[in-house]
Amino acid sequence: MNTGEIVCVVCPTSCLVHAEWDDEELVSIDRARCKLAWDYVAAEIFDPRRTVTTTVPVDAGQSPLVSVKTASPVPKGMVFDVMNDLAGVVAKAPITVGDVILKDVSGTGIDVVATMNVA
Amino acid sequence: MRTENVDVAVVGGGPAGLAAAAAAREAGAENVLLIERGERLGGILNQCIHDGFGTKMLGEALTGPEYAQIFIARLSDSGVTSSLETMVLDLTPDRELTICSEDGIRRIKAGSVVLCTGCRERTRGAIRIPGTRPAGVFTAGVVQEYMNLRNILVGRKAVILGSGDIGLIMARRLTLEGVKVECVAEILPYPSGLARNIVQCLDDFDIPLYLSTTVVDIHGVDRLQGVTLAQIGPKGGVVRGTKRFIDCDTLLLSVGLIPENELAKKAGIDLSPVTTGPIVDDQFQTSVPGIFCGGNALQVHDLVDYASMESQKAGQSAATFAGAGKLPDQNIDVQPGNGIRYVVPQTLSGEEAVDFSMRVFSPGSDRYVVFRRGDKMVRRMKQTELDPAAMIRVRVRADRFKGSEGPLTVEVTD
Repeated sequence: MNTGEIVCVVCPTSCLVHAEWDDEELVSIDRARCKLAWDYVAAEIFDPRRTVTTTVPVDAGQSPLVSVKTASPVPKGMVFDVMNDLAGVVAKAPITVGDVILKDVSGTGIDVVATMNVA
Repeated sequence: MRTENVDVAVVGGGPAGLAAAAAAREAGAENVLLIERGERLGGILNQCIHDGFGTKMLGEALTGPEYAQIFIARLSDSGVTSSLETMVLDLTPDRELTICSEDGIRRIKAGSVVLCTGCRERTRGAIRIPGTRPAGVFTAGVVQEYMNLRNILVGRKAVILGSGDIGLIMARRLTLEGVKVECVAEILPYPSGLARNIVQCLDDFDIPLYLSTTVVDIHGVDRLQGVTLAQIGPKGGVVRGTKRFIDCDTLLLSVGLIPENELAKKAGIDLSPVTTGPIVDDQFQTSVPGIFCGGNALQVHDLVDYASMESQKAGQSAATFAGAGKLPDQNIDVQPGNGIRYVVPQTLSGEEAVDFSMRVFSPGSDRYVVFRRGDKMVRRMKQTELDPAAMIRVRVRADRFKGSEGPLTVEVTD
């Protein structure tokens, strides 16, 4: 059995969760203040993921940049692949929150979407 | 000079002002004016492109611009008038504002005023770092604006002083954009930012965090060439033999925020020496009747959700005041006791439930926050972790204030 302490990052409360796990699954957690910690801690052990947020230049818009994010978290090891794939992308104004800026980024099956409106 | 009358004037179009203005309108104030000095609404949220906003109020993790957009939409639905690129030059105790925009200077007579002016970053001058004065020394929020709104990269190799949340967020942001972040140095023996940001922003990218460490010298003439770090002992002095040079072209300062209260001072509002924001009652009314305050101008928040929630209440109270409705008498003083740095609000009526915000002096675990009035235990709440970086929020029901006399004290106990 493996044990460890993992900071849950689901919300800003940042619970320091004591976890026990074996080769296949999470066995127990302690000191979490809500039940959302279970799924986060399990993922953090077996398939850690992060939402990537960054900006992309805008062509002919009122702002030089549009802020974007991955529509769902990508595998933690692929964060820099996502950044590299976004490096040459230019978005075209007008842009609305939720517009897809890049489809299937780095072969993750996850889209990069706008998080602000640009006229 | 032209003079206009409004029911409620809200100063500042960031998250606090947006929530206050919409809430004032929804609470029945006819004519609500939101005044913003920048060219767009949303304030600092626009440059906070990372996610994690809204988990407490909206139940989801949004980016800053997405969170702002929800409140901007609510504002336009509610029928508030907003005036962008408009500066408030003066505020009198009888709620007369002098404002300046492209249209010239105008006078606004307001039934009530809500101050949502946010805060400023502490600068190099405020922490007195010795050394030369080269280019390349920035506050973290300024770098955030340059990178995320203006598409300007500030350097190639950075050191971050202070482990406040903005500094941690910028450590990740700079790393993603190809800047080498050498380290984060924190003068205190514990981090100033939230644990989740230490994990997501530093640990994920193997950026070292040096505690009890600060910058004691700045080198370079035209451009920053490096900083000297040193360990700080328990009495605040440099530990001998710990000085070391770090090569870098950029230094980010994330060393604290100061509530912006120049207008409050002009109006003669009493400020708390601890929060440096106005002293308020449970309606978020300041010492000057009819002037209210919420958000980071009142107290520096960790979470925008709480800034919105508190300002919503301030906006509702402002609408009641402007409509000649009576606000409850405030006659119970709130006093911070053992272990508590401050509590907001500082007075209350005892007539309605109160959401208290407070901070502790030092970290701890498995302690209790206890509210007492006279002999009566009003509320006792267990805290598994106490962290000076994390504001504590506790709701106390109205009936708990009854049946006892004197001030309400709040303290940390075993």
